[in-house]
Amino acid sequence: MFKTTKSIVQLVILTATCLVISACTNSCSQKTSSTDTTLHFPLASTIKGMDPIQSNSTYSSRVVSQIFTPLFEYHYLKRPYELVPQAAESMPEASADGLVHTIKIRKGMKFHNNDCFENGEGREVKASDFIYSWKRLADPDNRANGFWIFDGKIKGLNEWRDAKSKGEADYDTVIEGMKVLDDYTLQITLTKPYYQLYYTLAMEFTAVVPKEAVDKYGEEFLNNPVGSGPYVFTEWVRGSKITLDKNPTFFGQKYPSEGAEGDKEAGLLDDAGQDIPFNDKIIFYEVVESQPLWLNFMKGNYDVAGIPKDNFDAVVVEGELSDDMKGKGIQMSTYLQPDVTYIAFNMKDPILGKNDKLRKAIAMAYDSATSIDKFYNGRGVKAHSPIAPGIDAYDPEFKNPYVEFDQSKAKQMLKDAGFPDGKGAPVLEYATTSSSTARQMAEYFKQNMEAVGLKIQIASVSWPQLQAKIKDAKAQMWGIAWLADYPDAENFLQLLYGPNQAPGPNGANFNNKKFNKLYEQASALPPGEERTAVYQKMRDIFVEEMPWVPNVHRKGYSLRHGWIKNYKPHAIKANSLKYFKVDTGKRSELKAKL
Amino acid sequence: MLKFAIRRTLYMFPILFGIALVTFLLFNVAGGDPAAQAAGKYATAEKIQEMRESLGIAGPLHEQFFGHLKQMATFDFGRSWSTKQTIRSMIFSGIGASVSLMVPVYVISLILAISLALLVAFLRGTFFDGATLVVSLALMSISSLVYILAGQYFVGYELGLFPINGWDSSLIARWQYLVLPTLIFVVLSLGSNVLFYRTVFLDQMYQDYVRTARSKGLADRVILFKHVLRNAMIPIITVVVTQLPFMILGSLLLESFFGIPGLGRMIVDAIQSSDFPVIKAMTTITAILVLVFQLVADLLYAVVDPRVQVR
Repeated sequence: MFKTTKSIVQLVILTATCLVISACTNSCSQKTSSTDTTLHFPLASTIKGMDPIQSNSTYSSRVVSQIFTPLFEYHYLKRPYELVPQAAESMPEASADGLVHTIKIRKGMKFHNNDCFENGEGREVKASDFIYSWKRLADPDNRANGFWIFDGKIKGLNEWRDAKSKGEADYDTVIEGMKVLDDYTLQITLTKPYYQLYYTLAMEFTAVVPKEAVDKYGEEFLNNPVGSGPYVFTEWVRGSKITLDKNPTFFGQKYPSEGAEGDKEAGLLDDAGQDIPFNDKIIFYEVVESQPLWLNFMKGNYDVAGIPKDNFDAVVVEGELSDDMKGKGIQMSTYLQPDVTYIAFNMKDPILGKNDKLRKAIAMAYDSATSIDKFYNGRGVKAHSPIAPGIDAYDPEFKNPYVEFDQSKAKQMLKDAGFPDGKGAPVLEYATTSSSTARQMAEYFKQNMEAVGLKIQIASVSWPQLQAKIKDAKAQMWGIAWLADYPDAENFLQLLYGPNQAPGPNGANFNNKKFNKLYEQASALPPGEERTAVYQKMRDIFVEEMPWVPNVHRKGYSLRHGWIKNYKPHAIKANSLKYFKVDTGKRSELKAKL
Repeated sequence: MLKFAIRRTLYMFPILFGIALVTFLLFNVAGGDPAAQAAGKYATAEKIQEMRESLGIAGPLHEQFFGHLKQMATFDFGRSWSTKQTIRSMIFSGIGASVSLMVPVYVISLILAISLALLVAFLRGTFFDGATLVVSLALMSISSLVYILAGQYFVGYELGLFPINGWDSSLIARWQYLVLPTLIFVVLSLGSNVLFYRTVFLDQMYQDYVRTARSKGLADRVILFKHVLRNAMIPIITVVVTQLPFMILGSLLLESFFGIPGLGRMIVDAIQSSDFPVIKAMTTITAILVLVFQLVADLLYAVVDPRVQVR
């Protein structure tokens, strides 16, 4: 008995020793052989699934866009952003009235090999597959996040949706505005001109999916995605990592041969005309906490990363990457994000909604420049209007007089509003989420307002509660942000269009007749100078009314290791990973320095 | 004993009904409208109503409540709103990860804490006892986040002994990702556990029966292992058994920081995405597990201590 126990103890000790020794030799950093071109890409969040019609977060789009192909995509290198065909063979032909759009799709493009097909071999993608995929987007049973892009815009689609919910239509029912002309040609007919249509056809929501896979996997299609993109889904350890392998039947896309100014000198055209994707595998890591993400990047286990707020000052010195980081072969890119953070006023509120001078006084009393330093490490530019950088109507020279921080002018404005030194003004409620940064921002806003005599009460609530407050028009004012879905000012201005009031996206309930009319006028105009001028008129009405205090357009900072070639940040395009190239020789050399 | 077990099990039903009622009131009545959240950023009033219907929360409250009771009875909580997986399959896949982290954690920390506590109780009043007290207090006073951040930085990044975080679906390859979180959890729970068990043992060591045993000339080792340890079992069982549900449910913080796809992580994700069916299911299951393990504790008391009468 004693002998047996002793043997077991010895065995346990031996096993433990072996395990520790193997850990010390194996796990110091990611195992990578000299020919392994796997791209290790961290996502700063978990994702819900990989169904294109539900892909409404930056992180899920990042994964979905590697697996699926919409008709169009953004040119990887050109700026300003330009649409190019992806699954489409060419850009669409539009009728003179802008209502009918005919699109040819690529011949020979195949779905990924998967058990859902006969013999497991992916079949050719046909025009009818797109129509099927868009009906899925509109199908009320699917509760798709992305239906808003087609809502009310395609002839007969909303009617089909209603009929489908009543069981009076199915996927075989023909929709007037979505026609298959032949196997490789489809036609979209709009209810009214909608020049953002092509942008929406570059969004993951509209990517093509095979009916066979949806039928086979049912509700769990989002966990078993089958597309026609450059990478094939292989494995998902939910909450941990997603593995994609290079698609052996990808339709032969090439690396672009043209770029923006400076791209050639930066080596971004070295691989011009070569087949993409370059890397054999992508592993996405779902890392919610910033420290493990950062440490893994610094160890060389992840190829790219953002810069956590707490590490920013050590990494970026006077706007440049620190020498220590440069010495490790790490490279940095910066770009202005097409977004805006703002403080919204509820225009239905009897106090704030009726008094533009009070809103302007609040805007002038708010020191947004300091808030950018304090809360964004200076990573951003002051916002003067709702329109973000990188969008046609954005004018970097434009100055909004009411967002210039000036306490004395703010006090004067407050007096004109009927509240000298804040006397007579009721306590105003500022709603915010309960995260520590959001609370700090709210406290900062409160201090700014108290300096001119306004009393603020902070309502710290959960994100769903804040959303509910806004949708019920019960919030008085709140801090929020909007990131462009596509590079068109319309995507920002629709947040102020009267008919979009709460529970729609116009949470501020701004309803200005002139503004609404201009919005409708702009919707009927193709992109160009005339439309830009209308957008700018709308911006001027915004300034006169100030339904928001625009705060900051955030600046993105991204880091990558020197072994990642062809990296160029794109604020909207999510499918850039097919252009990245892992330089295996350089990786071995640089990893030794980490 | 059997009668007691049956009666105790039957007592659980009204409590379970209470749990069902409270979770229902919390999620279906007092909570915000999940449909508005699920409808997304371009929601309209019609879309929210449509969402409410498809989520099964548009009907009268009594119907919703009976649906909830049925789910509890059949352990079929439907599908997650966000992942679309059946909640049952999510729980089964999460349990494996949580248990592979928490079982070694609990076993190691229990053995270590009880051994250390016995030793310091035996050596009470010595320098070793004092030093252990101070170190335990210090370990207790540091936030668990500090252990995690420092552990990942020094052990994972600087020394490179174990991966900073991560997971592998293969049971064999998984162990290397478990060492660091296990070490951290053991260290962070050691202080409070040692102090607690030391108090328990000291409490026993001043009892009359110990004095009697000593006066009879029994060796300290025999007194400690044969008498003190056995008599201290009641508080030990109480602590261990009440911790058992969390062995299954995992650790929210550790799983988040170490990327372990366990139930703890699943709960955090569900809360963040307002995935009500998952939150509701996990709240109900937690309550049931606590009830079941309390019953186990009650039964164990009778097994280890003949003074406990089960009637």
